[in-house]
Formats: sequence, structure tokens, C-alpha cells
Amino acid sequence: MSLTTVLILLPLVGAALTLLVPAGNRDGARSIGVLIALVAFGFNIAAFAKFDQSRGALQLGDRASWISDLAVEWNVGLDGISIWMTLLTTGLFLLAFIAIAARMPDSHPRALIALLLLAECGLLGVFAAGDLVLFYIFWEAMLVPFALLIWMWGDRTRGRAAASFVIYTMVGSLLMLVAILSAAFMAKGPNGTLTFAIADLANHEWTQSQSTWLFAAFALAFLIKLPMFPFHGWMAGAYSSAPLVVTALLSAVMSKAGAFGLLHIAVPLFPVGAEQLALPVGSLAVCSIIYGSLMAWRAQTMRMLVAYSSLAHLGFIVLGIMSFTSIGAEGAVLQMFNHGVVTAAAFAIVGIIARAKHGTEEMDQISGLAKGAPWLAGIFLVVTMAALAIPGSNAFAGEFFILIGTFERHPVLAVLACFGTAYAAVYMLRLYQTTMNGPLDGEPKKAELRGLDVLYLAPLVAAMVVVGLWPAAVTRTTKASVECATTAAGSLGLVTAEGQPPRTAPITTELLGCR
Amino acid sequence: MNTSVLTPFLIVSGAGVLALLLGVLPARRAARMLPTATGIVALVAAIIMSRVQWGGPDETALASNYLSDRFTLLLDSILAVIGIAVLLLAWRESSSADKRGEYAGLILLSVAGMMLVAAAGTTIVLFLGIELFSVSLYILCALETWRSRSLEAGLKYLIVGAVGSGILVYGLALLYGATGTTVLSEMQHALIDGDMLRDPLPIAALTMIVVGLGFKASAVPFHMWTPDVYDGAPTPITAFMATGTKVAAFAAFIRLFSDSLLGMFDDWRLPVAILAAVTVIIGNIAALLQPGMKRMLAYSGVAQAGYLLIGIAAGSVAGVEAVLYYLLAYTAMTMAAFAVVVMREREVLDGDQIGALRGIGRSRPMMGVVLTLAMLSLAGFPPLAGFIGKFMLFGAAVDADLTWLAIVGAVGSMISLGYYLKVVAVAWQSGPPVDDTTYRTPRSVTIVAVVSAAAIVLVALFADPLLTLCSDAAQGLIGTINR
Repeated sequence: MSLTTVLILLPLVGAALTLLVPAGNRDGARSIGVLIALVAFGFNIAAFAKFDQSRGALQLGDRASWISDLAVEWNVGLDGISIWMTLLTTGLFLLAFIAIAARMPDSHPRALIALLLLAECGLLGVFAAGDLVLFYIFWEAMLVPFALLIWMWGDRTRGRAAASFVIYTMVGSLLMLVAILSAAFMAKGPNGTLTFAIADLANHEWTQSQSTWLFAAFALAFLIKLPMFPFHGWMAGAYSSAPLVVTALLSAVMSKAGAFGLLHIAVPLFPVGAEQLALPVGSLAVCSIIYGSLMAWRAQTMRMLVAYSSLAHLGFIVLGIMSFTSIGAEGAVLQMFNHGVVTAAAFAIVGIIARAKHGTEEMDQISGLAKGAPWLAGIFLVVTMAALAIPGSNAFAGEFFILIGTFERHPVLAVLACFGTAYAAVYMLRLYQTTMNGPLDGEPKKAELRGLDVLYLAPLVAAMVVVGLWPAAVTRTTKASVECATTAAGSLGLVTAEGQPPRTAPITTELLGCR
Repeated sequence: MNTSVLTPFLIVSGAGVLALLLGVLPARRAARMLPTATGIVALVAAIIMSRVQWGGPDETALASNYLSDRFTLLLDSILAVIGIAVLLLAWRESSSADKRGEYAGLILLSVAGMMLVAAAGTTIVLFLGIELFSVSLYILCALETWRSRSLEAGLKYLIVGAVGSGILVYGLALLYGATGTTVLSEMQHALIDGDMLRDPLPIAALTMIVVGLGFKASAVPFHMWTPDVYDGAPTPITAFMATGTKVAAFAAFIRLFSDSLLGMFDDWRLPVAILAAVTVIIGNIAALLQPGMKRMLAYSGVAQAGYLLIGIAAGSVAGVEAVLYYLLAYTAMTMAAFAVVVMREREVLDGDQIGALRGIGRSRPMMGVVLTLAMLSLAGFPPLAGFIGKFMLFGAAVDADLTWLAIVGAVGSMISLGYYLKVVAVAWQSGPPVDDTTYRTPRSVTIVAVVSAAAIVLVALFADPLLTLCSDAAQGLIGTINR
């Protein structure tokens, strides 16, 4: 068993372990959660240490037959993109378990921990899957625990929220299932062997219409999961209804599954289709940026402000991926990591403020907290600056790369996207100023950071600062894999310096040592 | 000729007669226990016998009326398992205390009829098998004679079933007219030799056979009887109809279409594909509107028949294999769902309503988990059995250039989330408990529920050995399916 297999299965084992804890035993449940998350994070660090940055292919994985009749394999491994995504997942889940352990809900502690662990397992599987069927299985497997988390611990509107979450995502993913089957059988041809391995399918050359349709089916599933305008119908309900920790995980980690799918599966497998649809998808990304920013500006609650700002930031990530330039896509991966860290921190701060205000998240009822809680205000300022991508912050590097990459291919989209960075300043400063500055109100001291708050905020802030000062820490790991993912699509449609007509056939990824 | 291959069928039909006789024993206790016990022993013996014969060469018996190939043996085992589960579900059915013999005996005869369909080597045996299980089921539906709904169900099933059988037998007769033979394995040659492939006569026969079998499999638009009969019949019998009849109907479909009439593939492929698409869509939409659990499961069964027809429409080994695997998966998930309904029905008034399941996850966590697994699997969530089955069916469709049909199937699955997840939601809802806590679930029902639920998970995680069985069975069909 390889490190990756252990990493994926560990949370599953943890979920099974919770069954041994007597019902209602909160201490037992939460210590299992924190312990398993800690061990998983440790394994992930070990995997990172053993990771060979120069290779673009999956490594540290396993490949074994599972359902041989259907050519479905247990094919897992990590590449430069997924190693960072798994680190984000295990890291943020660990912090989430710490945050939950500090304020354990009374109802069904066992089920809460078990479902969170199952969700972690699903996400890790999505990031590490090297087989399309396995990817689909984990993709769906993460949906159920997240839906149940919303549905069992959400607020009054949770039923509706969970239902619309499930229905939206299933619409996308069932079409993706048909697309997976179509892709595999088309690639097989009349007499070939059937395979669902992503690396093998990447060598097949589809016709233009095949590639376009398949890309569209995959992209739809991913854009719904992100979510991206106009497929964000489930977002407002799910984000506002779920418990804050779950909302943070949905926004910081689960949304990355969508972006990851786009970059890791849709674009490398169907470069021709991606090139065909680059402009429509890119335009949707710009719409997301502007729509998300405007909605964030008008949001009533802190939570929805962060949620809509997240919609805008996800737009940047998609834009970077759809530029098919290695700098744009690297910026996108960097931004995937940054967005996870910044959003998690922002939601954590929302939680701390809401706790001091007896659960209220309405912005017009909160003001002047900085006077009583200077440490909170200080940390919040760092997070705010990161969220609005001020130069020197981690998000600045990411968005800058993305905009450079986009300028090369779609200058108009890049210009429009720049508005988003300006809007970000407007809504993030509005959030900071209304809550921290202004007239003193109530007992602001209650909002000051406590020991445990520091425990889960400090690593996030540290990550922001380190990546802000040294973005190459992330990009040097991701570089090889990002090039594998985007070269084929990027080579299409570019007119060479001698004025040659654009290449029509993609470069096979085999040339680049991506297998 | 080798009559020993008949043993599974002979054991079960013999036990059916014996159970009927045991039911009239003067000793009340013996009359209650013995028929069911006999049935279970016989069915287990049938499973063992078909397991023993597995691996041997394909045999025919009774002048090629009875085929004993791997397809027969696999379906014999599935049908016997269904029979055992139904007998266990009906074990303590209080309403039938004085009709033990009829209950067990008719179930066994019905299973024997279904086995005969699976083993049919001629159209005559095929029709005999269909009639044997149908007639037994007409009586079983109406067995609760004091309940008008049960009588209504029996009568309705009788009338509609007779119409279906009539159309089917007419179609089979026309087929005989076209080919001059009743032997299934000779039909293809007869059609080609007689230059009948483009003749209207076999096409007319084909149409009638599709309609007749459509009635049995409850494919839209021949499904009207399903919800009423499922609703009115005693619940263990409903479970039996939902699983056993479906298996038998698709056995007939495979014997006729995927085997002997494969030469006319181009003629029946599109109609069957359209039938599948309509069935998936209508079945799923109608299921959305049902307040009763049994009616909902009836329409869900209609929709599932549509998914299965997708595999038939593919007309390939992979399609037949997918149908066989999905029948297995479908049996496990439907049986699990009905076990919960059987239990709930005895606990509460109107226990077959979806609302009666409210809070079952809290008061009886095990049953809640069983129900959740069954619903998620029916909806096709990975990594459960229903997902693997649908994956294979859709894969077979895509491979046979029927991608549009796979998309229809996917759209149907989306619609189905609406009602399957509603049940899951209701089951875990908090609220005033609706159950009568003094009632203790009989162990037999719990066993069926838990074993079915375990099967839903295990059949998916360890799919390989089962798929080998299914593909052996599919490839071993006597006709030249490998086009």
C-alpha cells in the first residue's frame, strides 16, 4: 500500500472507529476526529517530503485492478497540483476538527465527526484519483456527507438548502458519468482495450466535436461544484444554512474539487474542446467575478459577504485555468491554495465575531470591535489585505499570474477581470470597517481571541505570509504538472512567430514526461 | 438428454406441492411451521444444486424444451434467494396464519415458474413458465380475502395479466408461423433460411411479444396495473412481484431478444430503446408524486425496468451482463426497502405511507441505515451496487452507439433523486415518534433487511467474482450472441 492509499483510507477508518464510541460521548468522538486528522496531515507531510518535484506524472501511488471486467482500477497517486490540494484538505480539516472540538454541538457528536471524516476521504480521493471511474465515485461519495452535514446541523432552511445542493450537483455529475463512459468507449474504438485511466485517455485524439461535447459535459459538472455563475443557485442556501465550519470547508476545500477537475481532467483530456470553449467559459468566469463582487458588496451578513467574495475569487481561478498558459494556470493553482487558506481564515473570524455577538452575523449590528479586541483586529486586517490581494500578500501573486496569463490570450477578459480586484477592496474594507471600526457597541472584549482561536488562526496566517513572500514555494512543485495539464490546449490556436497557421493536433503529453 | 439437470426446478415445484399438502395438517402448529420450513429447505437445496451443476457443460433436457446453461443456473440461484427472502418476510405475517400452506406453496410454485422461464428452450415452455408464476401470483395477491384492496389487486392483476399473456401467446404463435419451429435456438436459422428477416410476419410477432413482456416487466405504457396491484397485495407478495417477476420477465427478454431473435436486431433495437426511454422518464416522474411507499416503489420499479431495457436494447454480451448484474443489485435494494416497509406496516397504522417512516432512523437506527442504503443505491450513488449496475448499463448503451439512451437514463436518475432522497430525509427527520414501541420486529424480517443491505455494499465492493458469473452466463447463451 502506498502513501496515497493510506492517506485516502485513513479518514474512512476513522469514520468506522467512531462507531465504537458510545452514542453521545462527545469526548471520544472529538478526540478520534482530531487524532485521525492529525495523522492524515502527518502522512501528507511525509508524502510531500518524498515528492519528486521535477516530474509531472502521478507518483507515490498504487495501481491495481478492482473491477477487472469493467477495466475499473484502484489507480491513485499525487502530482504537483494534487499534493498541494491534499495538503490544503488535510490541513484545513485538521483545523476544522480543532475548531469543532472547541465548540462541540450537542446533537449527534459521533455522526458529525464520522461525516466530516467521510467528506475528507471523498475529497482526498478526488484529488488523488488517476482513474475516471474512481474519480467519479469519490466525487459522489463526498456529496452525501456534505449534504447530510448541511441537513442535520443546518439552520431552519436546511432541508431546502441540502436538497438544492444535492440536485444541482447531481445534475452535473450524472452528465459527467455519461461523458466518462462515452470518452472511454470512444477511445476504445471497435477493437481496443477499455480503460478509464486519465493518463491513458490523455493520449487519445478526439475529433473536434467529440472533444467539445465531452469537455462541455465535464466542465458543467465542475462549474456547478465550484460554483460558477450562472450555476451558483445552490450556493446561497447551502452556505448560509450550514454550520459555519461546514460552510468554510465547502468554500475553502470542496470548491477546489471543481477547479481541480477542470485543470486536471477536462483541459488535459479534451484540449481541442477546451480551446473551443475557452471564450465562453472565460466569459462566465468574468461574470462570476463581477457578479460575486457586486453581491458581496450588498451582502447583509458577514457570512454571505465572504461567500460571494469567494464566488468572485473562484472566477479568477477558472480564468487562469482557461488561459492555457503555464503562468496563468500556475497562478490558478497558487490561487486555489491561497483562496482555501484566506477563506478559511475569513470564515473563522466571522465565527469568532458571531460568537461574541450571540450568534448574529448581521453586519449592521456589529461595530467597533477593534477597541476591545486589538489582536482580533490585527489578524483580521492581515486576512482582509490578503483577500483583496494587496501587493505582498499571497493572493496578489496568484491573481497577478492569472492576469498575466489571461492578457496573453484574452486581453478583454483580463481587463474586465481587473475590475474584480478593485471591487474586492470595496467589499473587504466595508467588512473590516463596519465590524472593527465605528462606535463602540456592547462588550467588545468578548470578541478577543482565545487560546484555541489562535491555534487554528495562526497556521493560516503563517501560510498566508510565507506564500505571500515566497510564492515559488508552491509554484515550483506545481510547475511540471501544470505544464502537463495545459500544454496541449495551450499549443492550439496560437499563431507562431513566423505566422504559421495554428496547430490543429495537440501535442501528446507523452512528449513532456507526464506519464 | 439428461434429466438430472432438472433438479433445481423439480425440487422447488415438488416442495410447492408438498407445502400445499402440509398446510392442511390437522396439527395447527405443524401446519403453521412446516410449509415455510419446507420451502426454505427446498430453495436452499435448489441453490446448492445449481451451484453443483455450474461449470459443467451446457445441457438440454426434455427434447430441448429445457436448457440448463449458466444463464439458467445463475437465474435459478437468484430466484431461489428471492424465494427465501419472501418466505422470511412472510414468516410471521399474522394475517395469513391459517393460510400458511397456500402462502408458501404458491410462492414456491411461482418461483418454479420463474425458473422455467429462465430455462425455457422453446416458446411453449417459456409461455408455460410465465403462466405458472402469473397464475400463482394472481392468487397470492388476493390471498387476504377479507381486505377488499387485496381482492381488487388480485382481480386487476388477473385481468391485465391475462391480456398481457394473451398478446404474448399470439405473438409467439405468429413467430411459430414465421419460423415453423418453437425451439428458440433454431429460430434464427429458420428466419434466415426462410428469408423471413424482412417479412412483416415476424415483425408483427416481435411487436406483440414486446407488448406482452412489457406487461410482465411493467414497462410504460403497459404499467398501469403496477401501482394498484403493488399497493393492494400483501407486502411480502409485493416484494416478490417487484423482484421475482422482474427477474423472470427479463429472463424471457434475454432468451428471446438477446439470443434467438438477435438476427432481427435492427428491427427491434429502436422500438426497445424508445420503450426504455419512455419507461425511465414516465416511471421516475410518476414516482415523484406518490405519497405511499408501496406505490412509490411500484413506480420506481417501473423506472428500474426502463434501466434494464437499456441493457436489452444494447443487444450485446456487455448489455446482457449488465442486465444480469443489475437484476442482482435491484433485487437486493428492493428487498431491503420492502423489508423496512413490512416491518413498519406491522408497527403503525398506515405504515405503508412515506410519512410513517418519519424518525425511523432515530428510533431504529439499523432499519434507518438499511433504508438509507437501499434508497441511495436505487438512486445510483457510488460506490453502491445500484451505481455499478447503472454504470454497466449506460456503458453498454454507449458502446452500442446509444449514447442518447444513456443520457436519458442519467436524466431519469436525476429525477429519481427527488423521491429517493425524500425517503432518506423523512427517515432521519426528528419529530414526534409515530411508532408503537411495544412491537418487536420479528427476527426474520430483520435478517432479510440486514442481509440485503449488506449485499448492496458487498456486491459493489467485491464486484469482480459476481461479474465473472454474469459474464459467463451471458456468453454461455446458446444462440450466437457474439455478433
